[in-house]
Amino acid sequence: MPMKKIYFLSMILFMLLSFSQLLAQDLRVSGTVTEESTGEALAGVNVIIQGTTTGTITDIQGNYSLEVPRGSTLLFSFVGYLTQSVVVQQQTTVDVELKQDVTNLEEVVISGLASTVKRTNLANAVATVNSEQLRGTTTQQTLDNALYGKIPGVNMNANGGAPGGGINVQLRGISTLGAGSSQPLYIIDGVYLDNSAIRNGRTQVSGASGGQSTATQDNASNRIADLNPDDIENIEVLKGPSAAAIYGTRANAGVIIITTKKGSTGKPKIRLNQDIGFAEGQNFVGFDDWNPDKITAYYGTGETGQAELQKYNEALAEGRVADWEEEIYGETGMLYNTQLSITGGNEQTTYFISGSLQDEEGIIQRTGFQRYSIRANIEQKLWEKVKLNVNTNYIQSESDRGFTGNQNNTGGSMGYTLAYTPSYADLFPDEQGNYPNNSYFNDNPLAIRDLADNNFTVNRFITSFGLNYDIFQTTNSFLRFNMSGGVDYLTSESLVYFPEILQHQQAQANPGDVMWGKSNNFNSNIQGFLVFNTMFGEFTSTTQAGMVKLHQNSEFILNRGRGLAGGQTNLQWAKVVSVQEQTNREVSDLGIVFQEELNWGEKIIATLGIRFDKSTLNFQQNEFYAFPKASVAVNLHNFDFFDSGLISQLKLRAAYGETGGLPLFGNTFESLTPQLIGGGLGGQVGTRGVDPDLVPETAAEIEVGADIALFDGALSLEATYYNKKVNDLILDLIPAESTGILAIATNAADLENKGIELGLSGTPIRSQNFEWFSQLLWWKNESEITRLNIPTFTTGGFGPSLGSYLIAEGYSPTTIIGTPSGTEIPGGFTVYGDRQADFDMSFFNSFRFLKNFEFSFLLHWKKGGDNINLSSLLWDDGGNTPGWDEDADNNDTPDGLDRLLEWAGGNTGVYIQESSYVKLREIGLYYNVPANVTDNFLNGAFTSIKFGVSGNNILLYTPYESYDPEVSNFGNQPISSNIEVTPYPSSRRYFFHIALEF
Amino acid sequence: MKPIYIFLLVMTSLVFSCDVDEVVDPNNPSLASVLNDASIAELQVLVTGLEARSRVYYTNATQMFGSFGREVWAYFGSDPRFQNDWLGLVRTETYPDFFASAGTYVNPYLAVKQANILIESVGNSSAVTAEQAAGMTGFAKTIKGYQLLWPLMQQYQNGIRVDVEDPLNPGETLGYDAALAAIRSILDEGMSDLQAAGGSFAFDLTAGYAGFNSPDGMMEVNRAIAARAALYAEDYNGALTALSNSFMDLDVDEDSREKMYVGPAHVYGEAPDINNPLFYPLNASTSTILIVHPSMIEDALPGDARVDAKFFERDEPVNNSNIVDSNGDNIPGEYQDARYATNTDPIPFIRNEELILIYAEAQLMTSNPGEAEDAINIIRNTWGLADYSGGSSMDELMEEILFQRRYSLWAEGGHRWIDLRRTDRLNDTYVDLRDGGNIFTQVSRRTSEINWDLDN
Repeated sequence: MPMKKIYFLSMILFMLLSFSQLLAQDLRVSGTVTEESTGEALAGVNVIIQGTTTGTITDIQGNYSLEVPRGSTLLFSFVGYLTQSVVVQQQTTVDVELKQDVTNLEEVVISGLASTVKRTNLANAVATVNSEQLRGTTTQQTLDNALYGKIPGVNMNANGGAPGGGINVQLRGISTLGAGSSQPLYIIDGVYLDNSAIRNGRTQVSGASGGQSTATQDNASNRIADLNPDDIENIEVLKGPSAAAIYGTRANAGVIIITTKKGSTGKPKIRLNQDIGFAEGQNFVGFDDWNPDKITAYYGTGETGQAELQKYNEALAEGRVADWEEEIYGETGMLYNTQLSITGGNEQTTYFISGSLQDEEGIIQRTGFQRYSIRANIEQKLWEKVKLNVNTNYIQSESDRGFTGNQNNTGGSMGYTLAYTPSYADLFPDEQGNYPNNSYFNDNPLAIRDLADNNFTVNRFITSFGLNYDIFQTTNSFLRFNMSGGVDYLTSESLVYFPEILQHQQAQANPGDVMWGKSNNFNSNIQGFLVFNTMFGEFTSTTQAGMVKLHQNSEFILNRGRGLAGGQTNLQWAKVVSVQEQTNREVSDLGIVFQEELNWGEKIIATLGIRFDKSTLNFQQNEFYAFPKASVAVNLHNFDFFDSGLISQLKLRAAYGETGGLPLFGNTFESLTPQLIGGGLGGQVGTRGVDPDLVPETAAEIEVGADIALFDGALSLEATYYNKKVNDLILDLIPAESTGILAIATNAADLENKGIELGLSGTPIRSQNFEWFSQLLWWKNESEITRLNIPTFTTGGFGPSLGSYLIAEGYSPTTIIGTPSGTEIPGGFTVYGDRQADFDMSFFNSFRFLKNFEFSFLLHWKKGGDNINLSSLLWDDGGNTPGWDEDADNNDTPDGLDRLLEWAGGNTGVYIQESSYVKLREIGLYYNVPANVTDNFLNGAFTSIKFGVSGNNILLYTPYESYDPEVSNFGNQPISSNIEVTPYPSSRRYFFHIALEF
Repeated sequence: MKPIYIFLLVMTSLVFSCDVDEVVDPNNPSLASVLNDASIAELQVLVTGLEARSRVYYTNATQMFGSFGREVWAYFGSDPRFQNDWLGLVRTETYPDFFASAGTYVNPYLAVKQANILIESVGNSSAVTAEQAAGMTGFAKTIKGYQLLWPLMQQYQNGIRVDVEDPLNPGETLGYDAALAAIRSILDEGMSDLQAAGGSFAFDLTAGYAGFNSPDGMMEVNRAIAARAALYAEDYNGALTALSNSFMDLDVDEDSREKMYVGPAHVYGEAPDINNPLFYPLNASTSTILIVHPSMIEDALPGDARVDAKFFERDEPVNNSNIVDSNGDNIPGEYQDARYATNTDPIPFIRNEELILIYAEAQLMTSNPGEAEDAINIIRNTWGLADYSGGSSMDELMEEILFQRRYSLWAEGGHRWIDLRRTDRLNDTYVDLRDGGNIFTQVSRRTSEINWDLDN
């Protein structure tokens, strides 16, 4: 054995020596690099001798000059352009024309925690969305909104239309059934982001609780909403474990890596963008008309019916028969968005500074969203070999989301109340501002709109740093130390307030209800890596090893005051004050990572890696769990035998990786819960038991695919198939309830997600005056529970009679079931649908024409999937569904009542509806003022002026019978999404844009 | 400083610790802390917790069993199932995990769990004397026996589990009679523990147990509950024996009506305590209110003081579109509960008036119709009604007792439904079905129980 090792080492030594031999015969080469189509000189192009780290960059005229060994290959690379290679024999002048990289083959993608890889060499389908794709067409309220339809394999579902966001993002299907995070891990410039939805206690104040779901119905939005999309340079989406394995124990739901903009050398460049727009309700249901016939049909002809007829006639006489949807949701919300950024720098220092103000009104009065953000990204060369960058971001965001969605016995939801309120109800305030009592429900929705508060304010600092130290560098090797980390410090304050004069408060013993919430959330993480890169022969090897630490600390408190003095919200003015909830959390994770990447002349690129992780969320807090990965990409087009012809790229790739999912905080504790009774403080035995054998969930994914580019990259196809198996899913074992233990988190199931992702993009027409880029994405996912070793159960929603989800072996966890009880399926109910789409498809097109015009649009089609539409149920119950008193089946019972009775008789299917849709997500038209005009305008004060108009969600086609098929009463849930209870209707947004650069 | 030093400094600080500090629940005490040699203060926390757990069933029992027996209608506008499902407007049977039925199933079992943990903790504690320990376990078993009655009343012939100590290995489901026998023996065990508990408790109870917060007092409560269980088991002699050791007081008349309300009570308070769940401000403009079933008003005897004390006629009736008569017209909700003046009023959960009525029934069933009639007259006279003047057949007297129970125990945990069922009268002669609904005899077994049996 030792002999062999020595032999091997001497081989390597020999190879290294032979390289240095070549260096002896150098030749000075110089030339100019230009842009192929325009002929303009390109500055900053990297010129490197292949197989070495030796190189230079072109100057402002596109010129370069370099000592080159004879027979070696020069590589010319530049962001956004295809790399060209030229073999140097005798020539001393090498001029090169670079072609635009239309299909982003050259893009660099993050492959490890401290290294990157060129997209052409990647073994995974990692989707990248750049700032142009993110914000190029229109202005979205939040970052997640701007991702819709742009990444195959990502299914997004908005929880409702309330200002301030709230979107469920699922990468490649469901990855957890309730333990662990159902949302991807977000990392911005190396900082682990807090994307939690922070409670505000609205559930308690409006009474919206109950049913099978323990999820709250606060309608809180996840905090990714705080990020300013304009600051973002690009977003990389690691959709499955095969790509995300290196993120270990928190990556089961995928990883979304956000990189913000960097400064660039040169004199300061100032950009100012101003958007002004408006929002209006996208799609109203059109409540049924109330007339004498209808009133008789609904109330009967008896005393009540007569009284209602009289009320109707009064309303008619006083001219106050109203369209309540129009009255409540019919506002036109103004949208303002101002972005200012300055970028510049020199050889030593570069900076990017931005400030933004976004102020958006909702379509309900007194609702809206504001965000203020300041950012400074600074990069400094400390010494020749040490580079430091610091990115800091302060954000304040504030949302007023109003009261919609579920409620119980309070009327604390306008939508819910409207379901029961006929058009002739007497609700308008009198001259003194007194709101009449709503005799049809617990409260007057106009009073809720005008007097109640639901405010949420966030102050947040996100700061990251990165330190790069080139420890040594030779012609064909380098060793680099990289350290990075940061903090995300988020404080929030929430206020939910029902003043004492509200009808439903007057019906309580202590009128006036206020809930104040405060939270401090501190995430910090740090990582240190050594990266060793060496080249020998045609091989390049990149080795990295490092350690990662994450710490999360949060404090949350909700205080409630009831019996308020007139108009007061301060807790000192409440008769009864109590702590509704105080929750502290502390979590520490630690990981150790190794990765080896071997690149054989860009022909075959193989990667092996492993991560060991421990976390205090595990039952065994100090135990390491391993997450390996392996991948290979084969670039057939780089092999000699490959006759390129019309195929410019043909890559086959396969990747395998494992990631983890952690138990939820608290699920590994058996505790007592406090309850006050008659002045004594009792400790109640908790309803949760503990399984001492609990381990993290593990997802293992195999992904295979092919990337093909034709006609010099004018057309490209990316096709991927994946099979993601999540093993040891943590589920709550539900013992017989009579034992008083209602849940024990245990490794109870295996889940399989299989799917296909296709992307076809290209530039069918590309000429001086007209350029057309088109992209078609198509993806589908199928899930199935392949093993379940606890009893079949239903979960989510409000119980089977109102539709819930089935967890059973052989079924998708998104299967919707309901009554009547049956015997055909496990669990004894009836299957009515599946919330998962059959497939999703998006179609993006952009056109550049008449030199200065740009037009683009994005269509998104979701085919199939079902929702549990409880709004329809409430509207039927309240007589407000369109066509309620028609009688299609001539049975003398109004159709609305027919449906309600059929449901009450045990057929939940009545209110389970298909949720397919086609949406025109984005559309925009822009005009760039020509250079000759800007040059003369105000003495050329502006280097660029751009105008535009755009819109989002302008068109919606759906068979779904409510505002928007995208809805979730319970917020971001792994399973129990797509349940609707009179949500905030979504809106259509229009913008006018102006962008100035000087 | 040379960069290499920064690098070394950072690397060492990073690599230094490969451990994470273990995190314990930062918000609550652990269960283990009470199970392992608990102090008296820790046991007190469990005792108070038991009192808290043991009052939760009351809301659901009164509202849902009350709707089943048409004592009340739940005019709860936010969810049509409060009417459709509870009144069986379109269905004749319930279903597993029946709408809003956990309150009389899961919640009492949580109290049972609490009692079992208390008993276990007492057994593992070296801080209490044998007498103190017996006082605690006596109280725990008394409450445990009482709580088990609620799921049994809900499930009836489905039976229930009684052996529920081990969550992963629960005992089998016992039939109605066997479960009732098991409950009675738990109560008897509690009684014998209390007998060995000395003169006083080593723990405090809330004001709800004023007069009963000693081993002697708690024995009277224990026997009162045992009397109810004996009545349900149709062991009338057993009921009489139990009553004789309970706090029953037959010396009540019109001037001492308050004696009817003597008995242990569930107490309520302002948050973070919970409010009296049956309190609704009078005349509140709301679509969520428990309404007195109109038959209660219509069937009342003139001069019955219970009517004014319990039923309040609203200025403005409330409506619920699901509660309609046979013509399809809304039935206005005209009367609301008048019993509670504030949202912190206590609610006695077993009281002298019920004991007197149990006494009447047990006497009747043990062939002492005279004693029964006397007891009936105590009730009648107390509420301003003349002596009973109807027939003296067993059946007629039973009818009278049920009639008095209907008014005396109205909306106190659904007595009417249970009484009609155990006396084979659960039909539309006794249950007013003007709402067009159906009568349920029992509620379906819960999904978790069915599944557990399927899988184990």
